Parts: sequence; structure tokens; C-alpha cells
Amino acid sequence: MKNKINIYLIEFAINAILRQKYKSLFVSIVFILLTFLLTSVFFITNSIKYELNSTVDALPEIVIQKTEAGRQQNIDVAEVDKILAVKGVSDAIARVWGYYYFENAGVNFSIVGVDKFENQYKSSLAKIVDTFDLGEADSPLMAIGKGVHAIMQKNYYKEYFNFIKSDGTLKKVTIAGVFDADTQLESNDMIVISKETFREIFNMPQTKATDIVIKVANSSEIATVVSKLRLMYPNSSIVTKESLKVSYQNIFNYKSGLFLALFIISLFTFFIVIYDKVSGLSSEEKREVGILKAIGWRVDDVLREKFYESFIISFFSYIVGVGLAMAFVYIFQAPVLRDIFVGYSELKPSFELPFVFDIQTLFLVFFLSVPIYIAAIIFPSWRVATLEADEVIR
Amino acid sequence: MIELKNSTKIYELNRVDKVVALNDISLSIKEGEVVVLKGASGSGKSSILSLIAALSKPTSGEVIVDGKKISKLSDNFASVYRRDNIGFVFQKYNLIPSLSVRDNILLPLVPLNPDAKDAEEKLALVMDMFHIAHKADAIVKNLSGGEQQRVAIARANINNPKIILADEPTANLDEKLSLSFIEIVKSLKALNKTIVIATHDPLFFNLDFVDSVVEIHNGIIS
Amino acid sequence: MILSPEVLTLFILNALFSFFATIAFILSVKIFLKWDTDSTCQAQYRLEKQSFLTATIIKYIFIIKVPLFLFFIFTLDKISGLLTGAMCAAGVVNATTYGTYLVLLKILNLYLFAYWLALHNEDMKHEHQPYTKIKFGIYIALFFLLISEIILEGVMFKAIDIEKVVDCCGAIYSSSAGSYISVIFRVKASLLLTLFYGNFLLITILYFLKNKYIFALSNAFFIIISLITLISFFGTYIYQLPTHHCPFCFLQKDYYYVGYFIYVFLFIGTFYGLLTGLLRTSENEISKNYKISLLFNFLYVIFLTSYPVLFYIKNGVWL
Ligand SMILES: Nc1ncnc2c1ncn2[C@@H]1O[C@H](COP(=O)(O)OP(=O)(O)OP(=O)(O)O)[C@@H](O)[C@H]1O
Ligand SMILES: [Mg+2]
Repeated sequence: MKNKINIYLIEFAINAILRQKYKSLFVSIVFILLTFLLTSVFFITNSIKYELNSTVDALPEIVIQKTEAGRQQNIDVAEVDKILAVKGVSDAIARVWGYYYFENAGVNFSIVGVDKFENQYKSSLAKIVDTFDLGEADSPLMAIGKGVHAIMQKNYYKEYFNFIKSDGTLKKVTIAGVFDADTQLESNDMIVISKETFREIFNMPQTKATDIVIKVANSSEIATVVSKLRLMYPNSSIVTKESLKVSYQNIFNYKSGLFLALFIISLFTFFIVIYDKVSGLSSEEKREVGILKAIGWRVDDVLREKFYESFIISFFSYIVGVGLAMAFVYIFQAPVLRDIFVGYSELKPSFELPFVFDIQTLFLVFFLSVPIYIAAIIFPSWRVATLEADEVIR
Repeated sequence: MIELKNSTKIYELNRVDKVVALNDISLSIKEGEVVVLKGASGSGKSSILSLIAALSKPTSGEVIVDGKKISKLSDNFASVYRRDNIGFVFQKYNLIPSLSVRDNILLPLVPLNPDAKDAEEKLALVMDMFHIAHKADAIVKNLSGGEQQRVAIARANINNPKIILADEPTANLDEKLSLSFIEIVKSLKALNKTIVIATHDPLFFNLDFVDSVVEIHNGIIS
Repeated sequence: MILSPEVLTLFILNALFSFFATIAFILSVKIFLKWDTDSTCQAQYRLEKQSFLTATIIKYIFIIKVPLFLFFIFTLDKISGLLTGAMCAAGVVNATTYGTYLVLLKILNLYLFAYWLALHNEDMKHEHQPYTKIKFGIYIALFFLLISEIILEGVMFKAIDIEKVVDCCGAIYSSSAGSYISVIFRVKASLLLTLFYGNFLLITILYFLKNKYIFALSNAFFIIISLITLISFFGTYIYQLPTHHCPFCFLQKDYYYVGYFIYVFLFIGTFYGLLTGLLRTSENEISKNYKISLLFNFLYVIFLTSYPVLFYIKNGVWL
């Protein structure tokens, strides 16, 4: 077929791009900036979405917390037996956990107390309990997440850590080892210790627990179990996994919604900037097109050449922009930009953005940049292609 | 071959001012002829060449080439007509200064998506013919005036057109180069090409191979 | 209402299309009313220039629309993950009353835009541009179809309710479904296959007889019978499941995106087939269209036939 690619025209287009050095450079930089920004944002949100989803998936079906005047209070361990009696509940476990504020580093650790003879409410925790020895009451040990480990190292706690108890005295706990959890968000700020040690540090009596997690064998019964629990504990907050998922998603959509509003503005700006730059025709360019038409190029040929030019520029800029974004997000962990999305990162030890490659993101960025760029050059290209040759080459 | 029938060309500078560049001109040129358009600056020589090349349209009257009314061609088809029939050596050569000699000469072929082999053959032919092959990879803006002109002539001939138009071809050349240009015209005539030269250089007025000298004065043939 | 980045991208591009299409529309009306090839006045030159702008815009829209249509299906597939019950794009298309019409309208518009381009190419080959008035007239109609499509698309995405449980493709494309689709399951597969291969045979014979109108007509039938047999018969072999008939699932990664090839073959084959009858052009061009049409229809038939044949070779039985 005769529709093969015209090498001579490509060569001419490349030369034309190089002839217009500053214009091409400017346009490419704007284009690269846009694709870079779009791709980075999509990569970051994809990664966080992935993290959140895996975190939520690992959560128990139902959590019941006692609240007084809207604030969370410790719950009686004795309630576990009452809850177990509810029809449909297959297991109920009292959890002891809490946030410990480490002032030197300015971060919160989440500390989980476990008893190795009890059922663990999730498999990752059971694995940790099996792997690490958590010691005795007078010689306690702890297992810590990677993020915690890094922070402790930085603050010269290489082998042990001194917790400050509520009465102001110190409690020394030796580090038994570092664990790897399923997701970074989960493992980074977590410290696992025995329940006794936890109670000692947080001054929590034996009869109390932080909250109770409930397992329901048949997921279709969750709703009825929840309504029964509501009747039993009118003052408590009962959170299900589903509702958590929805609220997570909502926070997230709100944020990406805000960003999309910004996108529209930046895309519009992109259009205008490109349009403005491309439509400013130098007499040099006009003359060139005049020459081409005078020696037999048709309007269509000039338009095609302009299209080749813009295709080369946009293809090049797109690849560079996406490549830069990949390096920025996954190698350099997206400094500055990720903080906008991970609002609480100030308080939590940092986590790594997992590499989640989604080819659709690339299409998405493609459709948000290339068609808009080409749209911006339609008018200027048409204007130059229909110039009267006779008038510009005189 | 080429026929101008009562052609008038008026340039409207603005709503009030007009320049009558050509006033009711009729002219007929036969195939294989060499015609010299002679006249002072501003008399309308370039305007006639523009009409023949379909670069501009007459305000009234018509231009007929090979039996075809080219004064009515659309923009696209005027280009096609030029591509297939006209080799134009412009007054200022109109080369693209930052491209090499070969790239400049190949320009008329580019939109045709030519075969590499075919294009190279045509290129070699015209570069040899007009003695510019030794500068094939030089950048045009570094060439002398005479060399630039030969590039322009080579480009005008790459599509092997029937008609060659030259606008003030010797204006920027010394006597020796002017004479060698005349030799080139002679060789083109030998190939049976129809040639129209607009000039006020007296060198052209008494040549034996020139079929006619047409004198233009203020847009009128005298 | 769903406002994922993908949907927003579709909206942004639709807004861009509307803007440019409207400019092209206004110019088209002007050209349609005032075009006069014989005139040499200034107004005609201006129109001529504007016709280039109009054609460029229409080309632009079409060139973006083709990959965007695939992206649209891709997006529906992605959204299906958010809708309870939906497994692929079919669920999303079926989630609202507009989905099916939108997809059909999109396909119709693709054929029409492609036809417009073919007409334009033909027009530009002649000095007197015989089709200019017609093609811009056609665009005037096409503009309304395009705008309807854009509006319908907006309405559809607005109407999607994330809370609502929708049907999955297994339910939509089954013999028990109450819709018009179930009708094709009541017809015997052998009859449909006879029609399908018979139709292709007819196309091949007509290719040699070079009867362009009947050739075009048989291509029109071929679109319909191809889609029907794809749903009722060939799909089940692609999925290797006798009950799975969905014409969307095989667009997904699990089936190596074969759906895109299938539909592209069918589109190109039938489009050029229709073109032979609908565009008056040079003999050369027509014979080229014949060839492309036959080639792609042939690829389509071979590609689909290979599924049941390979299945039979491997398992020794039919589904
Ligand atoms: N594009 C234009 N716009 C306005 N006036 C023009 C234009 N082109 C030519 N003219 C005018 O038309 C007249 C004839 O111009 P033309 O270029 O044909 O003369 P010429 O004989 O080629 O002169 P020269 O020897 O200087 O090249 C001149 O008065 C010129 O100013
Ligand atoms: Mg002049």
C-alpha cells in the first residue's frame, strides 16, 4: 500500500523542530511538565489506593469501642463473653493497643499488645507472635516494624527502647527483631509487645481492653449482628470494615477531586500557552511555508508536516515526562507531592510507595495531553498552511 | 503552451490605494521557446511570472497553460500544477538557509513520499547537471551567490518540469557567472523546455537562442 | 454519578470536541450554502481556506475518536469494578437505560466519520471538488449525531448509581434474559453459522463478480450476523464456557485483549466493504477497497473460526 511512512517528511519535520530551537524547547518543557505532573499524581494515588485497600482488607469485620461523651474509653474485658453469646458471632477478641508519642522524633508509634496463648485477630499478627519471643514481665522484648526500626536507629536506640510510663518512670524494652508486614502503611509504625508490658506502660488495668474485634462466620449476617450489638451497647461506636472502606474512599475521592479541578485549570492553561506560543509566527517561518508552497507543496502537505512536527514533539515529551515521573515517584519517593496526599505523614513514620504499574494510567495521561496539544496547534497550523505564498516570499 | 488573455493584476494596498501591476496583458508563448521579459523595476515582470506559476490569480482575465485554465485552480491544485509543470528560480532564490544543498534540492519531492532510490537518482542527475554535486552536504547559507543560484536551479529541475521561470537570474552575479547562467539556459532549451526570464540585464537582449524579447512598461506590453 | 479520572478525561475531551465541532459546524453551514467552484471572487477563496480548517478539525476529531472509543470501553471495564454485580463493561452499559444506545451511537458515528473522511479524500483528488457541498452537508448532520453522543455520554455517567446492584454479563447475555438479546439464543446455532459462513462465501464470490452494490449490502448483513454469531457461538469458545456469551469480557486482559483485534478486523473489513457501494471513485480505488474489505473480513472469519477448531483439536469435543 502507498500509505507507508514518509521518511523524508519526518526528516524535514525534525529539521524544522531544530530550526525553531527556542520555541520547540519551550513547548517541550511545558509538555513535559504537564505529563510529569499528571503521571506523578496518578502514580502516587494508585500506590496509596493499593496500600489503603490492602490495609482495610486486613482489618477485622467489626470493631466495637466504648465511647463516653464522644471520646473513646477502655472497654471491660468481661464484655467478650456477652458478645460471644450473640448468635452469628464466631469469635470475639479483646485488643489492647494505643498510640505512643515519641517526642524526640515527633512521631506516633502504634503499639499492639498480644498474648501468645490467645487467638490473634489477624494473620499477620499471628505470624509475628510465632516468630518473635516477647519475653517475660521483668525482661520484656518487642518486635518492631521497619519504619520504627529506622527511627529508633536514628535516635541511637539500637538494642532497646525506653518507654516513659504514665507516672513518669522509664520502662526499658529490648528489641527482639524487625518484621515485615503485608503493607507498608500497616507495618511501618507498629510495635508488638506482650499484653502485660502494654498494660504497664499505658497503665491499663487487667480488666480493661482498648476495643473488641468481632468475627462473623457468614458475611451476610454482619448487618444483623451489628444491629444486635447496637441494642446491647447503645453508647459504643461499632465500626464495620465496609463502612471504613467507604469512608477511606471518600476521603480519597475528595482529594483526587480537588486535584482534578486543578487539572482542568492546568490543562486549560496548557492549551492557551501552547496556542499562544505556536500562533506567534515569525516572518522566518512564514517565508519558509511560502517557499514550500511555491515549489509545489499543497496545503495538505504543509498541514501534514505540522502534524508530524507536533507528533514528534508530543511523543518525545510524553516519554520523557512519564519517565521522569516514574523515577520521581518510585525511586525518589515523590518528595513534597506525596505529603499532599498522605496528610498524616507528619505524624506517622514514613512508608515507601509500592510500585503499582497500571498501563491505564499511561493511556489516561496520553489522552489528557496529546489531544489537547494537537487541538492547540490546529488553528495556527491552518493559518500558516493557507498563507498566500506569493505574498510571503517576495 | 502559455497564454495570458487580457490579464489584469491589481494589488489592493488598502481600501483606497491600489497598484495596477498589470494592465490588460495578452501574451502567448509556444512550447520550447525562450522568452525574455524586459522592463524597469516595478514594471510588472515578476507579476507575470507569478501568474504563470499560479502563485497569484489575475484580478481579471485568464491564464491558460497546456490548455488548462490555471487562473481558476484552487490552492491545492495550484500547488500540484507547480509541482508537475513549473521550475521557478526566484529572484532571491528562496532556499532554506539552514538546510544542506541536497535537502534543499529534494524539497519538491518530499510530500510525494518518494522511494529513496528514485529520489537519490533524480538528485544525482540535477546536481551533476548544474555542477553542485561537490557541495551536496554543505549548508546553503555558507555558499556563494552563484552556488546558491545553482542550487535553486537544480531544485527547479528536480521534477523535470516543462516550464522554467527565472526572475532576475543575474542580478546578484558577476559577468562570468552571468555568462555561465546563459549557458545553462541554452542547455535547458536544448531539452525542449519552455523558458521565461524576467530581467533588465542587457546581456539577454541580443542572444541568438532567445525567441522573443517582450518589453513591459508600467504593466503594459510595449 | 461517577467521576473517576478516566470519566473526567472523557468529559474534558468531549468538551474539546464540542468546541471544535461547533466551529466546524458553523463553517460547514457557510460552505454548504455559499460554495461555488466557478466563482473567482474573494468570498470563494475565503471559503476555500475555511474548508481546509473544517476538514482538519473533522479529521482531528475522528483520529482521536478511534482510540478514544477503545479507551471508553476500557473505562467501562474499570468502572465495572466499582459497581456491585458487574464483571465487565457489559454490566456498566446495562446499568442505565442509556448505555446500549450510547454504544450503538458511538459505533454508528465511527462508521459515519470514517465515511466522511473517505468522501473527503475522494473530493480532494478532483480539481473541481465535486463532493464539497455534499460532504459538508453530511457533516452538518454528523454534527448533531456527535453532539447527541456527547450529551448521551454525560447523561449516562451521571445516571450510573454506585449503590445500585447491576446485572453481570452472564445474566444479560443468556437465553433466560427477557430482552431482545435472548432472541438470538432461541435460534439454532447451526442455522446462524450457516448464515455466517454463507454470508462470507457470498462476499468472496461477489469480490470476484465485482458487483459493488450487492457487495456493500452483503457487508452490511455481515456486520449483523457476525455480531450475533460472536455472541451466540464464538464467544463461548473464546471463554471455553458454554454459558458465557458476553461480547465485552474478551476485551479484558484475561483474554489477552483479543476483543480489540476482533472488532478492529470486523470494522475495517465491513467499512471498506460498505465503501465500495457508497463512494463513487476511480476503478483503482474501488479495487483497493474490495481487497482491504475481503482481507479483513477473511482475517475476522479465520481468527474466530480458529477458536472452536483449536478447542476441538485439544479436547476432541464441541462445547
Ligand atoms: N504583494 C504586493 N502587494 C502590493 N503591491 C505589489 C505586490 N507585488 C507587487 N506589487 C507592486 O506591483 C508592481 C509590479 O511589481 P513587480 O514585482 O511585478 O515588478 P518587477 O517588474 O518584477 O520589478 P523588479 O524589477 O523590481 O522586480 C510594483 O509597483 C509593486 O510595488
Ligand atoms: Mg521582480
